Amino acid sequence: MAMALLRREGKRFATTPFIRSEEIVPQGTRSISTQIVRNRMKSVKNIQKITKAMKMVAASKLRGIQSKAENSRGVFQPFAALLGDLPSVDVKKNVIVTISSDKGLCGGINSTAVRMSKAMYKLASGTSYIHSASNDFGGPDKEIKYVILGEKAKAQLIRDSRKDIELSITDLQKNPLNYTQVSVLADDILKNVEFDALRIIFNKFQSVVSFLPTMATILSPEVIEREAESGGKLGDLDSYEVEGGETKAEVLQNLSEFQFSCVMFNAVLEHACSEQGARMSAMDSSSRNAGDMLDRLTLTYNRTRQAAITTELIEIISGASALTG
Amino acid sequence: MVIIPATTGQMGVLPGHVATIAELKPGVLSVHDGNDVSKYFVSSGFAFIHANSFADIVAVEAVPLDQIDASQVQKGLAEFNQKLSSASTDLEKAEAQIGVDVHSALNFALSG
Repeated sequence: MAMALLRREGKRFATTPFIRSEEIVPQGTRSISTQIVRNRMKSVKNIQKITKAMKMVAASKLRGIQSKAENSRGVFQPFAALLGDLPSVDVKKNVIVTISSDKGLCGGINSTAVRMSKAMYKLASGTSYIHSASNDFGGPDKEIKYVILGEKAKAQLIRDSRKDIELSITDLQKNPLNYTQVSVLADDILKNVEFDALRIIFNKFQSVVSFLPTMATILSPEVIEREAESGGKLGDLDSYEVEGGETKAEVLQNLSEFQFSCVMFNAVLEHACSEQGARMSAMDSSSRNAGDMLDRLTLTYNRTRQAAITTELIEIISGASALTG
Repeated sequence: MVIIPATTGQMGVLPGHVATIAELKPGVLSVHDGNDVSKYFVSSGFAFIHANSFADIVAVEAVPLDQIDASQVQKGLAEFNQKLSSASTDLEKAEAQIGVDVHSALNFALSG
């Protein structure tokens, strides 16, 4: 009976012009082949092994870098206490420093950083629809450039903003991050890019599963002086006595550069920490998905096998009963 | 009280000090807490003294003085002195000068 059914199926396939002839089940095949399902199960199992291993690696890297990132917060906080963080400051030359990772498979942290950078770009260039007449922030006379750290943001931003990318630096995390390395990097940016305000965009690490896209604003010495004199949010700065250096401007220059390197140091560490956390949770969920998939495949595999066995048994039994009857 | 090695000279800071921003030079930073004194060597950085009797000191490097190896300091000092005398460009000279400054400050801190 089953053979007849198969033969009829075969005929039906043969009459369908879209199916090539080698895909027809050959005559005399007794059961449905489970080869494909078995191969699929093997590959899913291998993927699961890899994602599990990646999760372990991310977890151990995270432990190392987390304490470093948390300690580095003490380095930039004094600057925040003294100079504050003025994201709304209105200046001509804006430089957006986007920090991203070199490697993928870490959830959406790189896309978040890129999206925030693009939003900042639109806001500063005045092309955003949020921009209104009452908001004098941003405008067509602004110069906005990108400085990119890491392969991932570069790949995303190069598509539509190639002309605005001033500098891009990759392979930062080959060696363990330290201050010396970051200050060389900061020096590189300071030398090659003209700016009135640097806006560093990174993901601040909160916990293994939550990251806060953050922007830190660094002002150039001239802008700091301007803001301090106009008595805005930096008005307090004028009450400080300045010691060392020939002039106040010189000290402010040193201060601003040092602030940039310290904030960068913190930002790079926070981002590296977020990256490992995001990778850990992404790999955790993909291991779990692979497990679910494997369960479903195993069920299908067993069912098909059972069905084949049952069919064969029925054939044998009905054959035997036909002979005796 | 803290004693800060500012570029303009040693600066003692007590509560109520006038708000100041000071650049640091290589030298000894000492923190006095009652009778306890802890001494650190700082290479460079900034000190912010706020009007509300808070002070922030940010240093590129800060090392407890007792962790510094005197023989290494002597070696480094000699090395940079030699580099300074053989330096040809301005950049090399400036770099060697910084090395000499840091090491002689270290030497002074250890002996004094």
